[in-house]
Amino acid sequence: MRRHVVPLPPADAPPVSNTRLAMIVLITGESMLFAGLIGMYLVFRLSARTWPPPDQPRLPLGLTALNSAVLLASAFPLTRALGAMRRGEAADGVARRVELTALLGTVFLAIQGAEWARLVRHGLTLGSGTYGGSFYVLIGCHALHVLAAVTWLAVVAVLARRGAFTRVRHAALEMCALYWYFVCGLWAVLFPLVYLY
Amino acid sequence: MIDMKRTPFMFALVAAWPAARSFAQSCAMCGSSFGPDDPVQRAFSWSILFLMAAPYTLFGAVAGWLFYVHRRAAGRRRAAVVELAWGRRKAPAGETGGQLT
Repeated sequence: MRRHVVPLPPADAPPVSNTRLAMIVLITGESMLFAGLIGMYLVFRLSARTWPPPDQPRLPLGLTALNSAVLLASAFPLTRALGAMRRGEAADGVARRVELTALLGTVFLAIQGAEWARLVRHGLTLGSGTYGGSFYVLIGCHALHVLAAVTWLAVVAVLARRGAFTRVRHAALEMCALYWYFVCGLWAVLFPLVYLY
Repeated sequence: MIDMKRTPFMFALVAAWPAARSFAQSCAMCGSSFGPDDPVQRAFSWSILFLMAAPYTLFGAVAGWLFYVHRRAAGRRRAAVVELAWGRRKAPAGETGGQLT
């Protein structure tokens, strides 16, 4: 009877792959960028006697809370896509879950864009003092990151549909998921800071 | 007996003690522009505290995670060796070892 022999991983294989390490370095750098922006926001927010200033419009809390739920929920199908890929399931199912994540990210951006247009019509612009300036710079920088991540997700979805990933070779999907988790986690910090505090 | 190594350090400490309050002001602008409970001063203090803590927290977390992953991987490698010493059966002719399933 033929025995099935599973090869052991090489003894000198690094416990953290180079791609994952590079992604962690990138995310740490991005976190420092946002730490600087949050520091800027804290200076303006804490030094103001009234916040928001009396003549400026209030930020839409209910709609943004709903939008936050959409963004945080988008991490769920991506986690399931990763799990399916690790189990070696069909590429079609993996691609569908990644596409759903990208769609939810696009919905988040669309709602935020509509919200911004409404705020601009009400007179809150980049030049509306420290309130408008800090809001648009901080939230806009996050929105740019979400846009980049959605583009990356779309590329990964196309690659997954073409069958470019296998059970053992899917680093692009893993790195994209790491970045998406970072973007979602960052919003979990920014939303309470800017909209609730 | 007087410790000759410690004496200059003690002299420097005694000389700097009266100036400690002026060192704490850091610069003439911060020392004279704001009152004792100024919101701008408080805002800058919190922001500086946050920006000081952020890199230590981030790099500490990443370094801690890397240390944990390396330790866990080393433990796994050691465990594999022990497991092979007890449970490994003789491989059939023509096959070059490995973990039998």
